Amino acid sequence: VPAGGVSLRRCSTRESLEGVNRPVIDRIIRVDHAGEYGANRIYAGQMAVLGRSSVGPVIQQMWNQEKDHLKKFNELMVAYRVRPTVLLPFWNVAGFVLGAGSALLGKKGAMACTVAVEESISDHYNSQIRTLMEEDPEKYKELLQVIKQFRDDEREHHDIGLEHDAEAAPAYSVLKTAIQLGCKAAIFLSERI
Amino acid sequence: KMAAAAGGLRRAGWRLWRGRAVVRCQLSPPHRALQASAVLRRVSDEQKEPLASSSQQQFYSHPTDHQPEQEPQGPRPSYTGQGGQESEDYESEEQLQHRILTAALEFVPEHGWTAEAIAEGAKTLGLSAAAAGMFHNDGSELILHFVSQCNTKLSELLEQEQKLVQLGEAKKKPTDQFLRDAVQARLRMLIPYIEKWPQALSILLLPHNIPSSLNLLTSMIDDIWHYAGDKSTDFNWYTRRAVLTGIYNTTELVMMQDSSPDFEDTWRFLENRVADAMNMGNTADQVQSTGEAVVQGLMGAAVTVSNAETSRAVR
Repeated sequence: VPAGGVSLRRCSTRESLEGVNRPVIDRIIRVDHAGEYGANRIYAGQMAVLGRSSVGPVIQQMWNQEKDHLKKFNELMVAYRVRPTVLLPFWNVAGFVLGAGSALLGKKGAMACTVAVEESISDHYNSQIRTLMEEDPEKYKELLQVIKQFRDDEREHHDIGLEHDAEAAPAYSVLKTAIQLGCKAAIFLSERI
Repeated sequence: KMAAAAGGLRRAGWRLWRGRAVVRCQLSPPHRALQASAVLRRVSDEQKEPLASSSQQQFYSHPTDHQPEQEPQGPRPSYTGQGGQESEDYESEEQLQHRILTAALEFVPEHGWTAEAIAEGAKTLGLSAAAAGMFHNDGSELILHFVSQCNTKLSELLEQEQKLVQLGEAKKKPTDQFLRDAVQARLRMLIPYIEKWPQALSILLLPHNIPSSLNLLTSMIDDIWHYAGDKSTDFNWYTRRAVLTGIYNTTELVMMQDSSPDFEDTWRFLENRVADAMNMGNTADQVQSTGEAVVQGLMGAAVTVSNAETSRAVR
């Protein structure tokens, strides 16, 4: 059977991973994968409550972009042979609850949650970009490109959230601080476990 | 590949220098002491047990090279040196230890996983038996070295197989057969040492060895799943590896007590365990889809009942 028409599984042998700083890359991909997974669940929760409201299409569009991000990190995870975080089932539930909970506070509540999370994520991506640039911009060119692109997307989500009156949400500053603290904890744990 | 060629050159050069060093060592005993202490300094740098001072003079019957050794440069061979020629023969301590341990494996069936086997191995390389003092008394390093070597061989085997499949020269195996074959191939590497393997297993379970042995085990299992084509990025990643680890460990134990010809009982046990694992996966899916069907049925029933109530109320 000729191999031509068959899609070859990428031969991700150890050789192609030689010279990669494994601990650093492991952490980066694991935590980013967890982050995109969580973001997916947050938007799913928001859609479950606000899907049929006027902001439904906006949230759906942001959700679709997060789905693409997750797909990309799934690929990178397999390519670099990184293990996913054990906490995935937990982020599954926690993300959905956060999304649905913030949506129950109203459309502005949902937008506030989006702003808080997207700001955390873009700061986090920025520090990863710095780390990779310090390591070796040439070696990690593909990864850097991906992270930069995603950081720009998350920034865009953040701005959309602001445009939709996130700041007018009930207890905006308390909500934002609490959510960002949660994000920091999630990042810390997902990098390690 | 470059590294392998360089390694080959180094080994060839090592033998050449050793020959010359035999002549030189007779001429310069104080020089030898300098060698020994330089090596000892490196040994203590790498946090091995300190050697008794009495064995210092006999540490090596021949110096490792004919010039004072450089300061420790880590496991990578150094290419600095007094002349282009000598630099290729610099063998790091880690490489030397590897060679001693590899040579020692031949003596394991006779002496077990002990310092005696290591001493015999060292002797075949022309080193003093006291070189076994570089290692722990309980044979831990020898066993870990062996396990690591087997894992590397397994990876290479699986890599070869994968290449053949990609070139279209071999058919892709179904998952259960792939796992069976991989585990069997790995366990067959134990056959020459099977008498002494239970001893090795108990040593690997010693607290100070557990981090390394666990590490070796998990990376081997991860390798097998990787080549089996596992692309899971969710909790399945963990479930699959846990299941395969269980299969591997139990099969290994069965193998220790198996006296059938060519261990056929063991391979049958392995086949059954792998089949169980596949069924478990199917069962889990079936349970989930049954559960979903039941829920939908209940929802439908609830809707029907509420409609019936509403229409009766209207009438």
